[in-house]
Amino acid sequence: MMNLKISALEFVEEAKNGNISVEDFIGKTLERIDSVEDKLHAFLSINDKALDQARELDKKIKSGKDVGSCFGMPVSIKDNMCIKNSKTTCASKMLENFIAPYDATVISKLKKQDAIFIGKANMDEFAMGLTTEFSAYGPSKNPWNTEYVPGGSSGGSAVSVSSFECVASLGSDTGGSIRNPASFCSAVGYKPTYGLISRYGLISYANSIEQIGPLTRTVKDSAFMLNLIAGIDPNDNTTVNNNNEDYLANIDSGIEGKKIGIITDMMGDGIDPEVLTATKEAISKLEGLGAVCEEVSLEMVKYSVAAYYTITATEAGSNLARYDNLRYGYDFPVEGYEFNSYISKARRNFGPEVTRRMIIGGFVPSAGHAGKYFLKAMKVKTKLTKEINEAFKKFDLLIAPTVPVLPFKIGEKIDDPVSLFLIDINTVTANLTGKPAISIPFKIVNGLPIGIQLLANSMNDKLLLQAAHALEQTVTLPEVPI
Amino acid sequence: MVTVEEIEHVSKLMKIDIDDHIEYLDKVKKMISYFDILDSAGVESEEISMPEISIESLRKDEFIPFEDKLIEKMNHYKGTYVHAPKMS
Repeated sequence: MMNLKISALEFVEEAKNGNISVEDFIGKTLERIDSVEDKLHAFLSINDKALDQARELDKKIKSGKDVGSCFGMPVSIKDNMCIKNSKTTCASKMLENFIAPYDATVISKLKKQDAIFIGKANMDEFAMGLTTEFSAYGPSKNPWNTEYVPGGSSGGSAVSVSSFECVASLGSDTGGSIRNPASFCSAVGYKPTYGLISRYGLISYANSIEQIGPLTRTVKDSAFMLNLIAGIDPNDNTTVNNNNEDYLANIDSGIEGKKIGIITDMMGDGIDPEVLTATKEAISKLEGLGAVCEEVSLEMVKYSVAAYYTITATEAGSNLARYDNLRYGYDFPVEGYEFNSYISKARRNFGPEVTRRMIIGGFVPSAGHAGKYFLKAMKVKTKLTKEINEAFKKFDLLIAPTVPVLPFKIGEKIDDPVSLFLIDINTVTANLTGKPAISIPFKIVNGLPIGIQLLANSMNDKLLLQAAHALEQTVTLPEVPI
Repeated sequence: MVTVEEIEHVSKLMKIDIDDHIEYLDKVKKMISYFDILDSAGVESEEISMPEISIESLRKDEFIPFEDKLIEKMNHYKGTYVHAPKMS
């Protein structure tokens, strides 16, 4: 029986040594997808050439030719990243027929390493949401309890990794969209330092803060993925030079003597008692490993959600202005329409959340309102960055629960936008300040997962992964019951 | 406090056509009203800092040909032109 539950590093080792046939593994993965997808809906489309690609790779491996370091590993890709000649919908009816004309940089890099893109993962439309309930093609379900949301917006990515429909996934994180679903589904979810991974070919939502990152079964797998996709890209001027850092090397270094700040502002009002208990347990485990943990306050956290939604809506309003259905979009004839009314009518294919955020994105930076909303949000962002930089003068790492609540039922919060906003309160800080952050599966309570978040200073991703690996080694979690 | 009329005005400027105004606008109003918390952040005197990228760090301003004819992938491409709605 093929073990689909192995980590990315185990897969690579087994495939390299000829102990796994890529064709068999991909075949079994497709069978697994077939058997659980009607319950989970992790994917928007499946790669129908995956088996052919696997056979080609097996031939290459057997013939002794050079093979990329993924060795045919099945990877799911959030459906807001372009794969050439494949459908890229962003989970929107607006892009339901859009075929990407080029590869995103992360896709080019993984193709060179012989990854197999098993399918495009479900998400909230245009990455606007944190439950996948705003996907135009229906929500994904949490594999731990299919009545519950899997988190979002990279919900399909998290579900596909935690329910063994792939070995690893790429998601994007604008305000927690990798870490939140990773926490809700018990996967590792990692948002790197802003600029460490190219965003070329990622369909834009809020360019100034969003990042692509991996969702994996282990922290080591995230480090492995980062090694493959990080680095400077002439097609993305915000990328930074990481000097080909090897994030996997010395990942076992431990955290003895490291100073960890406990962000008190992320553990106050509204936190679920079970999440608070789990966080305290994680802190004890880190102390047991030799870390020194002390409380630290970031006062601007209280205002971070409002600042985040103001800034992201503004950028989204600008980014989504390109969707006039003339350059790309769905099949909607132009005959009989005046130019402006055509665009307005065509935009009805945006879902309700995207439409709301476009309206907000027009409102908050507009003349007469910018001073009250957008400029204040930018000032909060600046002050929050100063506060966290100050904290990193004293601490090597910061810790907080990834999400202050447990996963909740599908439909439970969908009509209360402010309540949904506040679920982001522990994750948006890393985006607004550009810092790397990771969610590590830590506990299962009443059959639902809790993730713990660690943050590091910019470009200290290696230290962050070392600490996350150390924490991960202290826990043994049950298998997903699906 | 933001008004429904202000939100409707912005919707028109954004070329957004919606049916159920009341439901949409009520939620948008709730979301924008939440942003009022920014008034109590005490950041009025803060100078906004922006990341700077030096001109030397930008890629060369040169033409890089694209391998495909992107115009042929447009929705309403008619061989020699793109069919767009008439301007009023």
